[in-house]
Amino acid sequence: RSGSKHSTNPADNYHLARRRTLQVVVSSLLTEAGFESAEKASVETLTEMLQSCDAGIKGMCHHTCFNVDTLPAYAKRSQRMVITAPPVTNQPVTPKALTAGQNRPHPPHIPSHFPEFPDPHTYIKTPTYREPVSDYQVLREKAASQRRDVERALTRFMAKTGETQSLFKDDVSTFPLIAARPFTIPYLTALLPSELEMQQMEETDSLEQDEQMDTENLALHVSTDDSGAEKENASVLQQNPALPGSRNGEESVIDNPYLRPVKKPKILSSRASWSLLLGTKSLASGRELG
Amino acid sequence: MPPTGLEPCKMNRKKGDKGFESPRPYKLTHQVVCINNINFQRKSVVGFVELTIFPTVANLNRIKLNSKQCRIYRVRINDLEAAFIYNDPTLEVCHSESKQRNLNYFSNAYAAAVSAVDPDAGNGELCIKVPSELWRHVDELKVLKIHINFSLDQPKGGLHFVVPSVEGSMAERGAHVFSCGYQNSTRFWFPCVDSYSELCTWKLEFTVDAAMVAVSNGDLVETVYTHDMRKKTFHYMLTIPTAASNISLAIGPFEILVDPYMHEVTHFCLPQLLPLLKHTTSYLHEVFEFYEEILTCRYPYSCFKTVFIDEAYVEVAAYASMSIFSTNLLHSAMIIDETPLTRRCLAQSLAQQFFGCFISRMSWSDEWVLKGISGYIYGLWMKKTFGVNEYRHWIKEELDKIVAYELKTGGVLLHPIFGGGKEKDNPASHLHFSIKHPHTLSWEYYTMFQCKAHLVMRLIENRISMEFMLQVFNKLLSLASTASSQKFQSHMWSQMLVSTYGFLKSISNVSGKDIQPLIKQWVDQSGVVKFYGSFAFNRKRNVLELEIKQDYTSPGTQKYVGPLKVTVQELDGSFNHTLQIEENSLKHDIPCHSKSRRNKKKKIPLMNGEEVDMDLSAMDADSPLLWIRIDPDMSVLRKVEFEQADFMWQYQLRYERDVVAQQESILALEKFPTPASRLALTDTLEHEHCFYRVRMAACFCLAKIANSMVSTWTGPPAMKSLFTRMFCCKTCPNIVKTNNFMSFQSYFLQKTMPVAMALLRDVHNLCPKEVLTFILDLIKYNDNRKNKFSDNYYRAEMIDALANSVTPAVSVNNEVRTLDNLNPDVRLILEEITRFLNMEKLLPSYRHTITVSCLKAIRVLQKNGHVPSDPALFKSYAEYGHFVDIRIAALEAVVDYTKVDRSYEELQWLLNMIQTDPVPYVRHKILNMLTKNPPFTKNLESPLCNEALVDQLWKLMNSGTSHDWRLRCGAVDLYFTLFGLSRPSCLPLPELGLVLNLKEKKAVLNPTIIPETAAGNQEAASNPSSHAQLGGFQNPFSCSQEEEEIDMDTVHDSQAFISHHLNMLERPSTPGLSKYRPASSRSSLIPQHSSGSDGTPPTKPPWTVELARKGAGKEQSPLEMSVPAVPAAPLSLFAKEAAASKHGEHRRRHEHKKKKKKHRHKHRHRHRHDARERERDREPFAFSSPASGRSARSPSLSD
Repeated sequence: RSGSKHSTNPADNYHLARRRTLQVVVSSLLTEAGFESAEKASVETLTEMLQSCDAGIKGMCHHTCFNVDTLPAYAKRSQRMVITAPPVTNQPVTPKALTAGQNRPHPPHIPSHFPEFPDPHTYIKTPTYREPVSDYQVLREKAASQRRDVERALTRFMAKTGETQSLFKDDVSTFPLIAARPFTIPYLTALLPSELEMQQMEETDSLEQDEQMDTENLALHVSTDDSGAEKENASVLQQNPALPGSRNGEESVIDNPYLRPVKKPKILSSRASWSLLLGTKSLASGRELG
Repeated sequence: MPPTGLEPCKMNRKKGDKGFESPRPYKLTHQVVCINNINFQRKSVVGFVELTIFPTVANLNRIKLNSKQCRIYRVRINDLEAAFIYNDPTLEVCHSESKQRNLNYFSNAYAAAVSAVDPDAGNGELCIKVPSELWRHVDELKVLKIHINFSLDQPKGGLHFVVPSVEGSMAERGAHVFSCGYQNSTRFWFPCVDSYSELCTWKLEFTVDAAMVAVSNGDLVETVYTHDMRKKTFHYMLTIPTAASNISLAIGPFEILVDPYMHEVTHFCLPQLLPLLKHTTSYLHEVFEFYEEILTCRYPYSCFKTVFIDEAYVEVAAYASMSIFSTNLLHSAMIIDETPLTRRCLAQSLAQQFFGCFISRMSWSDEWVLKGISGYIYGLWMKKTFGVNEYRHWIKEELDKIVAYELKTGGVLLHPIFGGGKEKDNPASHLHFSIKHPHTLSWEYYTMFQCKAHLVMRLIENRISMEFMLQVFNKLLSLASTASSQKFQSHMWSQMLVSTYGFLKSISNVSGKDIQPLIKQWVDQSGVVKFYGSFAFNRKRNVLELEIKQDYTSPGTQKYVGPLKVTVQELDGSFNHTLQIEENSLKHDIPCHSKSRRNKKKKIPLMNGEEVDMDLSAMDADSPLLWIRIDPDMSVLRKVEFEQADFMWQYQLRYERDVVAQQESILALEKFPTPASRLALTDTLEHEHCFYRVRMAACFCLAKIANSMVSTWTGPPAMKSLFTRMFCCKTCPNIVKTNNFMSFQSYFLQKTMPVAMALLRDVHNLCPKEVLTFILDLIKYNDNRKNKFSDNYYRAEMIDALANSVTPAVSVNNEVRTLDNLNPDVRLILEEITRFLNMEKLLPSYRHTITVSCLKAIRVLQKNGHVPSDPALFKSYAEYGHFVDIRIAALEAVVDYTKVDRSYEELQWLLNMIQTDPVPYVRHKILNMLTKNPPFTKNLESPLCNEALVDQLWKLMNSGTSHDWRLRCGAVDLYFTLFGLSRPSCLPLPELGLVLNLKEKKAVLNPTIIPETAAGNQEAASNPSSHAQLGGFQNPFSCSQEEEEIDMDTVHDSQAFISHHLNMLERPSTPGLSKYRPASSRSSLIPQHSSGSDGTPPTKPPWTVELARKGAGKEQSPLEMSVPAVPAAPLSLFAKEAAASKHGEHRRRHEHKKKKKKHRHKHRHRHRHDARERERDREPFAFSSPASGRSARSPSLSD
């Protein structure tokens, strides 16, 4: 829409300018012919005539036997009025405001009937550089105060949104302390502090590789320390048939009683424990010692 | 004579025992413990035990076992129902109606009660009657199998349940249970012979939820599912003979880690902690290697288990083939400070596996050998692991501790000998508790006891050389391991018990040296040596005149006679001299080697052969002496106060290479605030090769010196420029470098220096502004992002530094502390503390070190009047559910508040917590802290001291703490601190003002009426009864005095006493009594082994024994019944008690001496008839009050 406005306006301007020039020509011809004044309407009419004559000058030459060759002489007549060239209204150089870079042509895979790319300034990026702060002291200072501000803001926010305790009875806002909240399992937060987790995460990149080397060496052993006893039992139970074979094959299988599979209850053992319970006969005690 | 409990056995030691004579009339060979059901929700346990015993006397008709809190349903012997009595006098030491409130009375009664159930005296809470059908069997000394069904409901001690209140199954919640206790406490969770000297093999079975693991002693033989597959049974077998006291158990949803280096070793921890466990235990195999190498002996058990649990009773508890640790010892690789501490705990527990678990002790008085050896080899491990400097520093620290404790309390006796009725019956009359039993000991005393034991072992090593020492250990171990593999019938098992005698014999066999004097000095006798030394240099004779005095009259000291090493550093070198300290020689002339000739520029040779340049300008021109050290090797348990000139201390600090010498000189330099001292300390601080602990000590000394020199001090505050140079950026000196703790030495220094600097004060006695800004900057610029290690301890110390900088607020007319009149510096400090404390909520630090420091700092601010004093904050942090370190810090603040503000409410709150808190350690710690920082003491008037409080505390120690020995002893300690030994002064006067003094056979004014202040004048007090008011150590007679004076007030008590015993039958702890005792055994229940008459037809009702047994501590009771006419006969009973005080002559005062002689004569005379009289005495009593005896029995017989 704005584009159409742009295009009509210059055209209008052109017509107006031309018409004004023709008016001046008519007026000067009239002055030349000896008129001192003319009515506006007559000037308008003459201008209109001139305009149309100008437009159809060729045809006129044909039909009115107007000799074109006389024109240069006429133009150079001595008593002509010199009209200064109309002030060249700076050709409305299409406003190239903020051109940044070159308009890109369509790449080959985009059919040409597609609209053109918008002006480069709409997508082009222009990196700007500032001189980096390299002063160590300032850096440390900034880092320190930034961290402090963040911490302060965060803790204050937390204090404002939750329960607080105060050291002063009369003032609860200046030094707000987040209220102490007991944990259900206090040792977990104390021994696995989130603070260290964060620090560790930063470090893992560098450490991971080393650790991997370590764990690989111990992999066989470490893999045995399965956490859930239940899980471990299940898995070991499954492996059970293969166990004797693997034991022969690999010496690295650890024979630790806690890693052995849990046995299924036997009738015999249950009877023995029953008898123990009833007190009729005791298990290993006497026999063991002879 | 089978022991009856009146004599706490101990005869075996006196006889110079060839072997071990069991105090029990039977031998245990095997025990089965089976726990079929553990209910975490209800905190209950159901199971049975089966003991296989062989009678050793023909007429054994009663078997006494130990059992506490267990509900016993049924006892069978060889499948025959057996009658039993359950009686535990320790449940309520003094009967509740008693008006007695003096601690002496309590301590005696308590010792008697413990003795009455002491397995080492052949006693026990559970008395089982052998069915008459089996008497024949017994006479043939044939095997008996005692089968006991029991359950345990909500145990308050012995077993500790941790059940977090979250959603999920017990395994998901991390619920666990473990055995715990102080010394022999196994009787709290199953019936047994709870003695370290009764060894047997074990079969242990635990049926637990399938998601749980049961860890116990010995080898896990198999794990079997129950029929419903919901539970598993863990079968353990322990074939090495082990004492019941070394049996333990831990059940929980543990994560299992097989040690990657030693597959026989398994580690267990609570869910989620496996990574920490891996790191923490990764070092353990080195400890194993070390001990096995020095002892040239393999680890005795076939496996080893470590279990890390929450709410631990103690940080480390060693049991046969298994150790239980606090989960708080676990740490990751990023933690610096905890690492050495945890490793020390691991090493300690492992040392106790050899000596303490595998090798057990014959009796309580042999405990020192085990503690000594395990502590000593642990020290060797320290030396190897942390270096000689750390080791010597540790020895010095331990020495200082024991010296301070002994001087304060009057001595720690390693090897107490208690002859029944002998002169030295009570070797510890200076203490407010009996040392006859581990269970009556104050915890602090026991800690110091262990400390002294290992120091004495070191002294023995000094005497016989380490090589021989290790040979002796090896010999003990190899004897024991041979014995352990033998069958019971070979009677070899007692070789696994160590006794003082056996140990000493082994030493003399191996080394051929006589160490008897050393043993006599340090083991058979309590006290330390206190030397005062000074010297003069005689220029003419070129002789050093050394004067060494001793103080052996103050409590806790003893006289030292023997060699003493003195090292003199002269210009020409260092020379050792051995002086003989004798009775009367104070002066010792030591010839000097060098003339004072300093003009020659020459290097000075040191002790270690090094030669150094010294600036000798500070020296005395006439003397060639640089410094002198007395007993440099710490081969005497002593305190040395030595006088030498400041420049000598400075030389010593700079050039002596021994860290102990450096530390001593730092301590001495505190008294010499001069620029030269300052320089010496600064140089030490900067010297990188210097031991870091010495440098840390130098920091604090420098702060003190700077404060003394405040008016002449030039330059920046002490240590500031030093710190800047060492730890701050070169370009911007006010900013600390980003943290890098790779060098631990400088890490520790970096942590310590600000803390010391904060102690600096300017002329107005304020912390200089410059220092405060400096510390605040350290906090501000602290940057740990690039660090491999956590900085939580560092930041915590920065908060400590802030707290150190706080000085008392200038207060105008006690105005109320508000925010408006807050000092701007304090405002800054408070700002930091608030931020730190709040950040901890969002990003907690390891072990919450920062919260702990913040709480401490807040208390400091309160105490100094900057912040209104208010315990509310601390009370909220002290609640159950916070991490234990936080709780302790908060409780410490509340304890302090209670003292400073004399708050009755807070004291009540604390006392309530002592009784109700779920964590035994916290309860113990509160008592401990209250004792250390008491709200008032016996000599101070306080509004807090009132009758209700006395009753409350009395109740606490009398019956409220019967489930935990340590707690009860803690309560006794507190009672002693608050009220002293005698009747608390705040109590109203007893009904009768007169007491009968039986010894002098006259009535005197009740000593409790004499006001406390009058007793202060001890020298002048001629009336012996007033001595009862004094602390026990001041007056050897105080104990006996109390015994002999019968408070008329306690006439009620006698009646109460009887009714108390009547009530005993209705107690919940004796459920089996009325319900299960078969009627047939009714009449045969009575047999009694009264001394010497064992096997004679039963004539006495059972409860007479009870009374007689109690008589040891409660002589009053039988007497009181016949008080109207005080009989002459019972006097003999007291003779023994009176004689008890005969010990410890070395520290008697002169005016006592005469009296003593007189009395001793009398006592000896009495003693001769003592035993006989006692027998006689008991008989008439038993018959003279038949009513009490019969009626006591009647309820049980009537049904």
